Amino acid sequence: MLIAIARRLNLLIITLFILCLASYVLAFLFPGDALTNLSGIPALSADQSHQLQLMYALNEGWFSGFWTYLKLTLNGDWGVSLNSQTPIFEDILKLLPASLELSLYAMVISLVVGLPLGVLAGLKHRSYTDMSILSVSLTGFSFPVFWLSLLLILIFSLQLGYLPMSGRISLLFDIPHSTGFILVDILRSEMPVKDAALFDALRHLVLPTLSLSIVTTALVIRLIRRSVVTVYASDFIKAAYTKGLSHSQVFWRHGMKNALLPIMPQLAMQFTVLLTNAMIVEVIFSWPGIGEWLIQAIYQRDFPAIRGGMLAVSAVVVTFTISVELLVRILYPLNKRQFYAQT
Amino acid sequence: MPMLDIKNLTLEIDTPMGWVSALDKVSLSIDTSEIRALVGESGSGKSLIVKSIVGAIPERWRVTADRMNWKGNDLLGMSGNQRRAITRNEISVILQNASAALDPSATLREQIEESIPSYRLTKGWFWQRRQQRLDIAIQELHRVGIRDHNLCLSSYAHQLPEDICQKFSIAMALVSKPKLLIADNPTVGMETTTKVQILKLLTKLNKTQGLSVLFVSHDLLAIAAMANTMTVLYCGQTVESGSIEQVKRRPLHPYTKALLDSAPSFRRDLPPKSPLSCLDGTIPTLQHLPIGCRLGPRCPRAQRECVKMPATRHIHGHSYACHFPLHRDKP
Ligand SMILES: Nc1ncnc2c1ncn2[C@@H]1O[C@H](COP(=O)(O)OP(=O)(O)OP(=O)(O)O)[C@@H](O)[C@H]1O
Ligand code: SF4
Ligand SMILES: [Mg+2]
Repeated sequence: MLIAIARRLNLLIITLFILCLASYVLAFLFPGDALTNLSGIPALSADQSHQLQLMYALNEGWFSGFWTYLKLTLNGDWGVSLNSQTPIFEDILKLLPASLELSLYAMVISLVVGLPLGVLAGLKHRSYTDMSILSVSLTGFSFPVFWLSLLLILIFSLQLGYLPMSGRISLLFDIPHSTGFILVDILRSEMPVKDAALFDALRHLVLPTLSLSIVTTALVIRLIRRSVVTVYASDFIKAAYTKGLSHSQVFWRHGMKNALLPIMPQLAMQFTVLLTNAMIVEVIFSWPGIGEWLIQAIYQRDFPAIRGGMLAVSAVVVTFTISVELLVRILYPLNKRQFYAQT
Repeated sequence: MPMLDIKNLTLEIDTPMGWVSALDKVSLSIDTSEIRALVGESGSGKSLIVKSIVGAIPERWRVTADRMNWKGNDLLGMSGNQRRAITRNEISVILQNASAALDPSATLREQIEESIPSYRLTKGWFWQRRQQRLDIAIQELHRVGIRDHNLCLSSYAHQLPEDICQKFSIAMALVSKPKLLIADNPTVGMETTTKVQILKLLTKLNKTQGLSVLFVSHDLLAIAAMANTMTVLYCGQTVESGSIEQVKRRPLHPYTKALLDSAPSFRRDLPPKSPLSCLDGTIPTLQHLPIGCRLGPRCPRAQRECVKMPATRHIHGHSYACHFPLHRDKP
């Protein structure tokens, strides 16, 4: 067990290291001056440029250059954005929670809806219930996210006018920034109109979350259904029935555990799919998250920002994936051979 | 009246080629405190019979039978709950491939404890019951010859060798004190001393507690040693059944004879270095079943009549299904 944990931690550190290396190399591959790409400060005078060179240790060979970069990165000095000249790291810290919040709620909804439906379909394999759940999920699965978002805006914001079409919260409310998760921030703030603000934030959340979660829900349903069908066809479920256990006893004691645990990593993987989709949705709904920011940066060829954004997003994804895998490894007592065969 | 009475059990399963009858009019009966052996080569459908009796088959497969009674009650007609009550209290089954029949994510302790019927727990408080459950489990494990009960109970199925899993399954089947034990190849792959221990245990339970056993095995020697009666299965059809002595002394069906002849250790009269006998060919797959008597293409005695399914005939409790039985056609 300790070895497994050590291996995963090792993997995590090495992957993050490689990500840093890649982001460093990118600064040299991007068009323009490497120094500008690293720092985000367009070199004005020879003196300033010299100072930056010293800071990034560029003339001491690539190794110590990278070493200095690594130290700076770990210290949170990611340079400044070319366009706004604000520190990138702080921007990311401010924006990333908004994206995480959106993806998190979408994930929760996908699981809350997808889990019971998937289990139901799996238990009623090949029945009409199964067929209808499967076809609905196939339909949901086939929607392109951007099209779905636009459609939802068209119907609920423009036609019916029920829900707002962009932003996180109405500009009337001034929410102090503390955690970056807007619902948490509202609850922690001492505003007189807390309820109204909360309601407004929720209304803003509905459409982006919905358009994000439909695709993931479909995926979750299919994953769980397949797993339940496989487990219920296996010998040990049959054996549990021959012991005289009732349907619910078999379901809770033997069925669910074996159906869900092996697909936990795959389920968690959906979160990274969500994060990617969230970028698209953020642009459409002008959601002030990392995705929208990154895409703006790409439009404006803001290379330091692109570098930082990619580093941040990939670091989140990698860390998340590896921690889930570790968690499953601790919970699920399979032998090594089976475990590696499965993943 | 036999305890378990099956007449003309037919099991149809859906394959990519359509529905095929994997079991074709199988008849089998087990009396109180009888040990019945079920033999036949691999793929003849022994495990399917076992699974149909306890209902461990996919719901979409079609099971039909003229009679499938447990103590006079029709197993196929009753509700799922009634049927489970019977398998909980009166019938225990050991499925083939013991480790696959154990839940991979639960410890063996949880699994054996949930098999303990509530009437075996006499104490009132839940912590007393907990202790009692553990005691019963340990006692049961010792009975099948598992010495290291702590290791066994705290392990998961994949952590133990296959033969411990097999013994554990036997213990788990016996813990509910069944009237009938259905054991599908319980001793396969065990080394001889362990095997003998298990066989002795089953025989003892049969003698002392009147346990009936349906013993599925390839091991003709073990069968001859412990079983009272035997049923021979070929390709989903019962070809012959009768008491061990009858069948051994005078097999009437060509397949039974071939089966007995193919076990060299079973034949005392075999001179050393004589060629071993066996039937030509292999058992047909479900997709290519011959019509009529399914042994037809491999049978040395087959004639034109064999494309019709022979009716089962009975003489002195010995029954067979063959148009041209051995020993009978001699004047
Ligand atoms: N789940 C299944 N789906 C399709 N065919 C099956 C299934 N289970 C068994 N069969 C087929 O049914 C036939 C009988 O199988 P069964 O497992 O009962 O044989 P067996 O007599 O128990 O053999 P063995 O001695 O090897 O255990 C085989 O031809 C097998 O291919
Ligand atoms: S019925 Fe015919 S084919 Fe079948 S066993 Fe008898 S002789 Fe052989
Ligand atoms: Mg079998």
